[in-house]
Amino acid sequence: MSLSIGTRGRLATLSAPAVIFTLLLIAFPFAYTFWLSLHDFAMGGDSTFDGVANYARMLADPEFWNGLKITVVLYVLSLALQLVLGTYMALLLHGSRRLSGALRTLMISPFVLPPVVVGMMWLVVLDPSLGVANWLLESLGLPPSEWLASPQWVIPTVALIDTWQWTPYVALIVLGGLQSLPPNVYEAAQIDGASRARIFWRITLPMLMPTLVTAAILRSVDLLRFFDIIYITTQGGPGNASNTLNIYGFRQGFEFFQIGYASALMVTLSAIVLGAVIAMVRARKAVAW
Amino acid sequence: MSDKWLCRLNALQLAAVAMAILLPIAWMVLSSFKPAADVTAYPPQFWFMPTLENYRQLFETTPFARYTWNSLVVTGGSTAIGIVLGVPAAYAVSWTRVTWPATVTLMARMAPGTLFLLPWYVMFRELDLIGTYTALIVTHAVITMPIVIWVLLPFFDNIPRSVLESAQVDGCGVFRILWRIALPLVMPGLVVSAILAFVFSWNYFLFALVLSSGDTKTLIAASFNFVGEGSTNWGGLMAAATLIALPPLLLAFAVQRRLVSGLALGAVKG
Repeated sequence: MSLSIGTRGRLATLSAPAVIFTLLLIAFPFAYTFWLSLHDFAMGGDSTFDGVANYARMLADPEFWNGLKITVVLYVLSLALQLVLGTYMALLLHGSRRLSGALRTLMISPFVLPPVVVGMMWLVVLDPSLGVANWLLESLGLPPSEWLASPQWVIPTVALIDTWQWTPYVALIVLGGLQSLPPNVYEAAQIDGASRARIFWRITLPMLMPTLVTAAILRSVDLLRFFDIIYITTQGGPGNASNTLNIYGFRQGFEFFQIGYASALMVTLSAIVLGAVIAMVRARKAVAW
Repeated sequence: MSDKWLCRLNALQLAAVAMAILLPIAWMVLSSFKPAADVTAYPPQFWFMPTLENYRQLFETTPFARYTWNSLVVTGGSTAIGIVLGVPAAYAVSWTRVTWPATVTLMARMAPGTLFLLPWYVMFRELDLIGTYTALIVTHAVITMPIVIWVLLPFFDNIPRSVLESAQVDGCGVFRILWRIALPLVMPGLVVSAILAFVFSWNYFLFALVLSSGDTKTLIAASFNFVGEGSTNWGGLMAAATLIALPPLLLAFAVQRRLVSGLALGAVKG
């Protein structure tokens, strides 16, 4: 039975409030930001059409390129760590049915913690002079690190913090993928005498690819917009060593009130996120089986 | 290597993973119960007389109770709006198979929060809404509504078409079917979506950072001040962190099975 026009109309009224809300608070602001990015906007005063001046300024701004570089480095580093460690954790869990129940509960904790709390927690653990992390390193005879206070190490450190928070999430997604793989393929491979390593590289990993790409998409949208942990721990510092595009845009907008310029930065960042997502959705189709 | 040894090796590695997850959290909680002299002691103190002093001071020297109330109002309000808007939308999307209203809400999941915050800030300034609960609740609903819609969609999809159609034949209107038939059937999903919406609204930092004022500041936005003051007072900082983390942790444990797929907003099945 297909839907009558009347039913369709009445159902449309049911989704109308959500659609109107989306238009008012998501779609319209989206368009408005784009408009702002083409203007020299003065809060409370007149704004003048500026063409692509904000974008030209951006391309000539070394801080934009610095932010882009930091965003990309942080993204690639974190994503690689989380996918590799997440797959490793999922394989461990898959191999041990008995332990996985209690551990799954524990694994939820990091990623439901507010990122701000995670930042606070690691600030104390990683304190360069009094933190327990450096004490551990020293006890093992390793040199201490400046962690978040070091311009060279701040991005790897932030990547590690985010990896601590989100690897269990990736692992649980991958575990779901592992559990849905057809068992008969494994049985056939085992009968043929294939080694564990060979089974992993030739069978498990290729069949897991769609799940891994899904996990990568979900992490990418968060990682490219990285904000909370950096803002609570370093605000982009030391110097500008962790000034990601999102942090830079936020500060341009709400510390210097360069609303037009900040809008251009955010439109650019959104385009980057969208581009990455589209590329990966394509990739997921390519690895589907 | 025998299977037994492989199994033990596996368990050993899992124990290491569990430690890596647990230790930082345990350190945070432990530090919150440490006396002032022990919390910044170096080498770190593992044995100490636990005290509630940090918690007492937190409530005495900061408006922590007020921030908590603000967080509850904003999170509760935005979760309610998310449900009121999201439930009928998910029901309609599932029935009509017209998915764009659900897809558009994903824009909020992909664009950086600052992208929305810039125009909101301009708009709310014009409307004189900066620093009000209204601004905070409405903007946080941008987070909650997509969660409600996407978590509920598969639950609505699971209702057999024949159930809806026969109710229609009996003369039930679409609204009555939602209220009397569909909603009771998706109740478990509604609970999960409400909890997830609550958790992610509670955790959200950026909007409240800009749109709240002294009176409406949420716990998460106030954390920024705690960190500024906490450079000398780790005990207080960790007490604040522990208390702020408690509601999302407890709620998430309650829905742990659905958590992962719920968070993925439809990208992961199962």
